[in-house]
This record gives sequence, C-alpha cells and structure tokens, in this order.
Amino acid sequence: MSDTITTIDALKEHLYLAMQLEHATIPPYLTALYSIKPGTNVDAVQVLRVVAVEEMLHLTIAANLLNAIGGTPDLTRPGFVPSYPAHLPDGETDFKVSLAPFTKETLAIFKKIERPRLAPGSKKLVKRLYRGSVTVLGTYPGADDMQYYSIGDFYAAIEDGFDRLEKEAKVAGKTIFIGDRKRQVTSEYYYSGGGELFPVTDIGSAKKAIRLVMEQGEGAGGGIYDHERELAHYYRFDELDRERYYQPEDTAGHPTGPTFSVDWHAVYPVKTDLKLGDIDRKKSPELYEAALSFNQTYAEFLGQLTQAFNGQPQLLLQAVPRMFEFRNLMGDLIRNPLPDSGGHYAMATFEIGDNQVLRTVAIEEAGA
Amino acid sequence: MLFAIDSARRTDIGAVASDRNYDAVIVGTGISGAIIANELCRAGKRVLVLEAGSGTNRSLDGYDALVTNFYKAASKDNQSPYPVNPNVPMPRSPELRKLQPGETNALTYMVQSGPYVTDTTYTRIFGGTTMHWEAKTPRLLQEDFKSNALYGQGLDWPLDYRDIEADYQTAEREIGVSADVEDQSYLDITFPQGYVYPMRGLPLSYLDQMVAKGIDGTTVELYGETYPVKVRPYPQGRNGIPNPAYDGGKGYVPIGAVNTHEVEEGGRCQGNTNCVPICPVQARYHSGKTLAKALQTGRVDLLAQAVASRVLIDSDTGRASALEVKVYKDAASPDYETITVKGKIFVLAAGAIETPRLMLASGLQSSSGLIGRNLMDHAYLLSWALMPEVCGTMRGTSCTGGIVDLRGGAFRRHQAAFSVDIHNDGWGWAVGSPYSDVTELVDQHNRFGGDLRQGLIDRISRQLLLAFMIEVMPVESNRVSVDPQYTDKLGNMRPVVSFTVPEYTMRGAAYAREFAKTMFARLGAADHTRYDTSDYGYVNYEGEGYAIRGGNHLAGTHIMGSDKHRSAVNIDQRSWDHDNLYLVGGGSMPTIGTANVTLTLAALCYRSARAMLKQLQR
Repeated sequence: MSDTITTIDALKEHLYLAMQLEHATIPPYLTALYSIKPGTNVDAVQVLRVVAVEEMLHLTIAANLLNAIGGTPDLTRPGFVPSYPAHLPDGETDFKVSLAPFTKETLAIFKKIERPRLAPGSKKLVKRLYRGSVTVLGTYPGADDMQYYSIGDFYAAIEDGFDRLEKEAKVAGKTIFIGDRKRQVTSEYYYSGGGELFPVTDIGSAKKAIRLVMEQGEGAGGGIYDHERELAHYYRFDELDRERYYQPEDTAGHPTGPTFSVDWHAVYPVKTDLKLGDIDRKKSPELYEAALSFNQTYAEFLGQLTQAFNGQPQLLLQAVPRMFEFRNLMGDLIRNPLPDSGGHYAMATFEIGDNQVLRTVAIEEAGA
Repeated sequence: MLFAIDSARRTDIGAVASDRNYDAVIVGTGISGAIIANELCRAGKRVLVLEAGSGTNRSLDGYDALVTNFYKAASKDNQSPYPVNPNVPMPRSPELRKLQPGETNALTYMVQSGPYVTDTTYTRIFGGTTMHWEAKTPRLLQEDFKSNALYGQGLDWPLDYRDIEADYQTAEREIGVSADVEDQSYLDITFPQGYVYPMRGLPLSYLDQMVAKGIDGTTVELYGETYPVKVRPYPQGRNGIPNPAYDGGKGYVPIGAVNTHEVEEGGRCQGNTNCVPICPVQARYHSGKTLAKALQTGRVDLLAQAVASRVLIDSDTGRASALEVKVYKDAASPDYETITVKGKIFVLAAGAIETPRLMLASGLQSSSGLIGRNLMDHAYLLSWALMPEVCGTMRGTSCTGGIVDLRGGAFRRHQAAFSVDIHNDGWGWAVGSPYSDVTELVDQHNRFGGDLRQGLIDRISRQLLLAFMIEVMPVESNRVSVDPQYTDKLGNMRPVVSFTVPEYTMRGAAYAREFAKTMFARLGAADHTRYDTSDYGYVNYEGEGYAIRGGNHLAGTHIMGSDKHRSAVNIDQRSWDHDNLYLVGGGSMPTIGTANVTLTLAALCYRSARAMLKQLQR
C-alpha cells in the first residue's frame, strides 16, 4: 500500500492519530513523574515535568493543524487513550510503552519513544503482525497491520501530505486552510517554556508547527537543540541517564554542564500497567473508589480539552486547576500500597471512555 | 527564554579586586541593581554586581530549595524561606518583642527602641526583596508628586507624573505587569492613548466579587465630600494572559523560571496563594529574571557572598574612589577576606535601610544631613471579619482586588490616604490562619478527622481580611542610624531604626478602622478584629488602641530633590556630594503616597541608568 497521503480525509485522520500519539506519552510521563517521592530527585522531576508539559503543547499544536484544515479534534473518541502497554514504532522493531514507576528501565523506554530516527529507504511503512488485543500506535489509518517505521516518518508523511494537497488546491484556485481562525489555540490561552503557540493558517505556519513537534521530541533537525534553543526530549532523558546537564554547543552523548545525581530508590514502586480490575473492591473499597474517581476526572478533562479545541480556547485557563485536581488524585493512589501485590503501590489506571470504567459501572448495575 | 546558569564570566575574588575596567560597581541584586546592571551592560558597559547572600538561588535548584524551606517552616513569616546566614542577617518578625518606652532591643538585627516596634522587613538575598514581595504594581497618583503644594503635607517631588510616565511603561514591561488600563484609570491616573499593559488583568477572586456585591455603588462621607467605593483589581507583577495588542500588536512573551539548565517551568500564575513569601513556580516577577538577561551579555560579573562595608572617598575630589568589600567563604564561619573594588561609577542599590547604613558606616552624612532620615514605610492596619456565607477564601493570588477610592482627595489636608487590600489568604496576616484555626479546633473543640476538615472549611472559606495600607509622610526624626556598639558577625555596624507612626497617619488609621466597620456592616460580616495591648506594634491614638504593622515598603532615607541642602540625591538619584556615586531605590522617594513602592522605584532607575550612561560617555 502507499505511504503517501492523497486526500484531505486521510490527512485529517493522520492528524487525529498525531493527537492520539502526542497524548499517549503523557500518562506514562506523568506516572513516572508522580512516582518520585516528594522532595527528592529535583532534577529528574524538572526534566520529566518539562517533557510532559511539552507533550501537552504538541497535542495542542496537532489540534491547531487539524482545525486549520477544517477538521474536528475529538479527544473523547473511543480508544483515544490507549490501553497500556501500547506498542510504538521504533524502526524495524517496535517496543511497548507502559505506565510504570521511574526506573532505569522506564527511562530506557522513554528514550526509545523520543529516539531520533527515520526509515533508511523511501518506504515509510512497515508491515507488522499483532495479536488483535494489543494497542498499537502509529499504524496507517484503516490498515492496522501497517505501521510507520518511526514517529519521525509519521510526521514526515503528514508534512508531505500538507504540501501535496495545498499544491493541488492552489492549482484549482483554492486552499486546504479553510478552518475558522477562532478555533486556533494561541499563547494567550496556553503558554509554557516549551515554545510558543501560534495559529496555523497557511502552509508556512503548518510546516513550522510540524517542525516544532519533531525537533522538540527527537532533535530531528540534526542538532540536540531546536530553533528555540530548547533541548530535544531525547537528550533531556539522556541527561538523566548520564546524570549531567547538556549546555549549548555540546554534542550528542557528551554533556558538559553541571552534574547531579538521580536517586533511583526514592521512588514509589507503583504497579506497572495497573488495571481497575486488579483492585479488589471488597478488600480495598477506598482504593478502588480513588482509582475510579481519577479515571472519571481524567475523562471529564479530555472532554473539556475537546471543547477548548472546538472554538472555546478560554476553557484551557480552567485546565490548570483541573490538572492540580488529578495530580492530587494520582498522589492519593501512589501513596497507597496495593494489597496482595508483593509490595507494589497503586496508581492511576488511565482506563478512559470506551473502557474499563464504563464496563465496570455496567457490571455493577447488572449485579445490583 | 532560557539562561544557562552562571552565564556571567566566572568571577573570583582576585580577578575582581585587580580589575580596573569596571564602568560601574553595583551593590545589591534587588530590582534597582538589576535594572541598572541590565541597562548599562546592554549599552556595552562592564559591570560588577555585589551580592551579600550566597547567590545559590540563581539556579532552579537553589530557588526550589527556598520553596521547600517555606513548606517545612513552622512559622510562615515573610522571611521563612530564606535561611539564616549569620554573616548577612536580616530583620525577621518572629524575633520581635514588645518594648517599653526607651527600652532597646539589640538582639534583633535592626536595633529598635520602644514603645513602637516596626516589623518591617527586607530580604538580603540574590533577588533582594523581590524574592518575597507580593508584586502589586500600582502607579502613584499625579497628586502624590505634589502633596505639599496641594495639601500642605510631606514634600513635593523634583519631577511629576508626566516626567516619569514613560519610565513607568518601561518598568511595567520589565516586571511583566498584568492589568487592564480601564481598571487602572481612576482618580487622576492617566495612560497615553492606546496603551495596554503587557498582560491582561488577573480576574477578581470570588471573595472580591462577594465583597463587590455588598459595597459597589455605595459611598462614604469624609470632610464634607462624598466618595464612591468599588472593588477594583490591582495591577500585578505576575504572569497572566499576554495581551496580543501590547507594543503596537507585537504582543508580549512572559518570562518563566530562570537558570534552569534548559528546564523551564513557571508560566502563568496558578493561584498558589503564597506570593508572599515565595512563588513556587516563578510566575511572580523577581529581579533574578532581569539579572539573568544582564548576565547573558557576558559583560556583567556577579560576586556573591560579598558584603560592601565602606565607600571610600577621595578627599581631594570628593569622588568615590573604591568600595571596601568583605567576602566571606562560608555562611557557617565569620572568616572573611577584605578587598577593594574600583569602578568609574558606584551604585548603592541595597534598599532604603542598607544603603544609608552603608553611607553612615562610611562616615558619609551628606551636606544635607539627610542620609538615613525621613524613613518611610506604609503603616498597615488590619481589620478582619467572617462573611455571612462561604466566599472561597484561599483562592487566587494573595490579593487580587481592593478599594482604592480613598487614595486621593481633599481630605489629605487633614489625614492620611489609604488603599485597601482584600486578602485572599484569609486571616493569616492578622492571627496566623489557617494554622491557628487547626490548633484551636483541635485543642479547644476536640475535633478530628472529617469533622475537623469540615470545621476548617466552615471557618476559613468565610474569612475576610481588609488590610489598610496607610500613607506615611517624611518625618526627619524617623530614621536609620548606626552605632559602633551594635555590629554584626563581620564587624559591620548594624542599622539602628527609630520609627514612630506620625499623627497624620494615625488619623488615617482611626478613620480606616471606622471605614472597615462600615464595610463589614454593609456586607453583613461579623467583625472579629482585636488589637492586643501586648502587640509590639500597638499604638494608642485618641483613647483607642491599634496594632500597626510594617509594610516592607521602605523609602525616604536618601531623599531626592532639587536643592543639595534639602535632599541627598538629585533627580537622577546621584549624590549631591559625590558625583560618581548613585544612591538608588525607594530611599530616593520624597513621598510614598498609597502605591506599593516597587514600580515607582524601578521607573526611577531607568532615569538613573540614562544619566549614568551619559556620565560614562563624557
């Protein structure tokens, strides 16, 4: 099959997947971040936090790209939040991303997520065979067995699609950028250190937006720093590995900034990929309630983001207190041992929407 | 915006002491020193900045360590995040005690005598008092610049509002002020056509809105005139929503945390409600943000743990020839090395207490004899009540709104003006809430668990504190002096502060108390205000007692004027007696009106920086 995007609908579908992909890294990053015991590992906390915040920025940029061509961002679509572990493309092979505590192994996976690489040849898609039950990210829309070689290739295909479709439209005296300018989220409503949000209104701003996402993640621009003098995520994680900061002018693998240390013991051993079904409701009703309540809060939050990306950007201002709320809910879970789990602690399960939560509620009603 | 840590040239004592090429030597890293350093180095000048503190909070780790100190501290006073450094002591309110008339307490860093004890503070740390400031940034009224001519009170400034307006705009940009012009255009405050603040105003808190519901549109009578009252948002030096219309449509990019090894945090204000004593996410401006830009030029050297001890004057020319500096190695030991540093001009930017202290310790009284005199600080009177229904107290920044209608008017002939802050952090400042509430509910009401939680919610979310910030006019007997019998660990003379609340101010305070009662009545709020005779700030006035708190808005101690016999510095904050020595900051202000002083003193520093550059060109 072809790895080129030739229709507006395919481009919209790719951009939905881009939002899904950008979002999919947030729960693992937050899980690792909040598994660190408060007051310890200040450097690791800062690095994880900034990467998570930039993924939120990338999600917003993807929504801007989709809005620019008249699409409708929807974070409440069933399956938007993957069931973890989820498979992500990594060249010839793939790897699994889990919701796991901050450990050396978790860090290695995070580096894989952000690893800069592109397919060696011209083919961006690889055929992979999975069992029906696993969650796979970065597959070709409508062809579940075809996965992009890497996230970099996935974005390259999107950029290429924008180029091709806008050129075709121009020939017909039209443009693909027909979205309502008011739906664009700008830095008025969202800013962080992770770069500036700008409206996507034409091919120039669309390309700039795609490049920002690629460079911040993978340093795909070639250097370890992007245009905004921001260190790419892969190298931020590399800093945690090497316990030393990069500074401008450094080359990959050779940071020369201040050193620091990571205390791998100051971490709650949360249960990897915990599911609601793993918590015994009878034995631990409060824990179960807390996990359920988190998922509901997170589902509502995704609903609020969807509204924000559909013409009500001011709702993002309320997103900050909502995030505090689910941070506190996560904190409640992580500080509680999980009974009969061999010393593990609880954690948010991120089972959202078309998932465990609704099913559990349904089962409850059936049993009531 | 990113700053690599120590982007300044590495500075060691030897290099600094032997350097003969500094254009300017600046004492202090607060907002005055930071602005001047930044202006001079951007114009290509080489600058040395001296900081008495450790300087470790230049990095995010160091800053966050201060936040942790605050979280762990039992007392949450406004210096609680800032560790005790015996070599660089600072005033701390928990150390104060009540003094009888004539009784002296020399155990505190600032030596004071009774009966009135001020709990005013300033912070001797990298970033100065902008590390603990609340970051309200109102402009002075036009009438504040000529209160003597208009009302026969205080002193007139050698400049007026029109002369400082452009510098106000520059200061508002540097601090990154969030406000809306339509809210701030009241009394005689004016803005140029089309001006917008860098960021949009922060919204009024729910508590503000509840107070507004009860009092907006009502009036008070004062000396035969009617004044309308209304809850109005304050301009704030913290990140809000950037205004796309700023700077002719170029917009404004907020500055988050600095010196973070590429790890930026801190964007928008999150409403943590502990602006004082430290913003946990650097949403609130501190002068480290300005210094970071200056350090990045590579033309600024920063020497920390360096306490300026003497200004050396060339007796032939009267010019400052050098600064004597004591550099200590470790806060735990009083050992220090003395160096002298040289520069073309010298700038004392150590705050309105330390700058005159250093001058006086150097034996420099000035021809006017006014160094250290006219000490001013806003007098605060607190009134607190319980609102009739839940108002969501503890949401928002420390303070988002207040009543500013009595900042100006003909009544100032007779009594001090004030502005009123509605505090979003409950009764904390008055009685130590919410901590005191916990103690009381547990110890006296025997409550625990969910019942205790509910009890706290019932009490705290209805707490209303009105803080009256009352103007204090310059009085020569209110002063900072030094005395060889009172020294610190490094042998530097400590500040001796004599301060009594002037009668003009007390008349304003007495009225403020009545005003509070009136507002509480209009709100249906139960007044819980009590001033205790054992309070170190207790003042009797016309048979009534009041507890007067310090405002940490220090000013007046090297007053600015147009006559060298009646002022210490000229309109550019340059010493009349030593023409390459500038005394900058709140100390230069002839009056403080009813505006928190930071914005105005920052604006003055832009004027001074221009004068310095001119002088350096000559």
